[in-house]
Amino acid sequence: MATLRPLMQPLRQCRSILSQHAQPSTSTPPTACARRFISSNSTTASSSSSPSSSPAPTSQQPYPSKKKPLTPAQQSFLSSALRVNQAGELAATLIYTAQTPPVVAREPHLRPLMKHMYDQEAGHLRTFNALLAKHRVRPTALYPLWSVLATGLGWTTAVMGREAAMACTEAVETEIGGHYNGQIRTLLEMVSEWEAEGYEVGEEFRELIATLRRIRDEELEHLDHAVEHDAQKAEPHWLLTGIIRAGCRGAIWVSERV
Amino acid sequence: MVTRPISCSAGAAATRRMLLRHSRPINLPKRATASSPMYSPSTGTVRTITSSTSQSNNCVTTQRLRLPIQPSPIARSARTYHSYDHPPPPGPFTPAEASLLSTAYAHVPSHGFTPEALALGARDAGLLYISPSILPDGSFSLIRWHLHVQRTLLKGKLVEILGSGGGERMRVEDKVEALAWARLLGNETAGVVRRWQEALAIMAQPSYIPASLAELASLADEILYLAGDVSVDPSWYTKRASLSAIYAAAELFQTTDQSPGFRETRAFLRRRLDEAAQAGGAVRSVGEWIGFNAGAAVNVLRSKGLRI
Repeated sequence: MATLRPLMQPLRQCRSILSQHAQPSTSTPPTACARRFISSNSTTASSSSSPSSSPAPTSQQPYPSKKKPLTPAQQSFLSSALRVNQAGELAATLIYTAQTPPVVAREPHLRPLMKHMYDQEAGHLRTFNALLAKHRVRPTALYPLWSVLATGLGWTTAVMGREAAMACTEAVETEIGGHYNGQIRTLLEMVSEWEAEGYEVGEEFRELIATLRRIRDEELEHLDHAVEHDAQKAEPHWLLTGIIRAGCRGAIWVSERV
Repeated sequence: MVTRPISCSAGAAATRRMLLRHSRPINLPKRATASSPMYSPSTGTVRTITSSTSQSNNCVTTQRLRLPIQPSPIARSARTYHSYDHPPPPGPFTPAEASLLSTAYAHVPSHGFTPEALALGARDAGLLYISPSILPDGSFSLIRWHLHVQRTLLKGKLVEILGSGGGERMRVEDKVEALAWARLLGNETAGVVRRWQEALAIMAQPSYIPASLAELASLADEILYLAGDVSVDPSWYTKRASLSAIYAAAELFQTTDQSPGFRETRAFLRRRLDEAAQAGGAVRSVGEWIGFNAGAAVNVLRSKGLRI
């Protein structure tokens, strides 16, 4: 009990930090947003602080059409990042699929919300499926296990009631938001390192970062929806979110490797 | 000219083992020994190659090689992030290894995957006879070179294999068969079919099994990728596993196939692929049936008012 209590505090902090970044980043150019993002996170090893990186990345570079080869470490980071994202979106899709019938049976007015969240998750899954196939990344070997666990989680929380279902969404999306932020941070570090060294950055990576940003913002929107719909009234909220978040972190850790 | 004696310790042991394999006489022209600028008759290095005199127990003294001695990286899996914008990291062979292996590869049809082929390759590349000892795996490196070269060749021959348009109208299964067949024909054009049983024996040595399997898996991945397969669910694994097994079996069949143009091998390959497709279809049908009935059962319970 005493060890679990601190979990509530980080959850609130984490949510407030994540919500700060939830506003759409389309109004500012990517690097400006990136810099703000990096500087607001004390945990970042900001090797990118060199002022030489040009503010407009699409403008002329000193060495045009020169792209640095990916190192094996970068390759393995990218493969595990795409793999874990696909596993996560698969799980999210299945959670909403399993939650929808019991939740909607009790409270039909939630049908549009559940459908909206499901449709977005299905779109994310399609995005990552396409990215995996394009970049020749293998899917996680524990695909069947995640499918069963995600369906079980969604169904269990939905049967417990609307609050529990929303608490599940809240916990999952909090973890996922932080996870996407970590990936975006690493990618931005990669890009700014290349720029500092005078290399060009492939369109592929700019698109990937934009895609991850969009998806992160949509996930955090789900988090807000869940909180609006009484996620915090679930009993016992700290236990549910604690267990689910710990499970998410474990699943992310495993999926990055297997 | 710097000569560096190597003591009879762990470092020299590998060199000696390498040299002892050369103790069978092979006919090397004199030209080669004379043209090598760093060759010194007093070292005894080449004597062990050109004659089988009783020198094998001597502690071998050799010259410093110009090639950097570095372990070649383990066959890294091709199944990591593939970028279209940024070039990939350098391949599994260092430039020195590549130049030696590419010349030695030409001697495989006549000498097999043997130290002799490597020695002849070193001669052709203008290197010392001792230079094959930069290869940590000896003749297995030559086998890996063959596998690597033939696998990477597939991509360049895509139009030739699938026809112009990259086989847009072909089914994925047909493209897989065409690509696997092209890879089997690669063994014939390289002239290694009659030597392949020896190679399989080397590949089956316990320390080489992981690298051999990794190469097989890379080949299956390459074929399915080139065939345009985009499945990223558990069938990713089953497809690659079944294609690997079928390819390995077909290659073994090919080594004893005497029919003109390896007609029998082609028929064998087609039969195995058809069987795999049938088995996959059966599994899918059973899965669909179970899923349908489970869904129906849940819906019946829901219609009875159960809140599940």
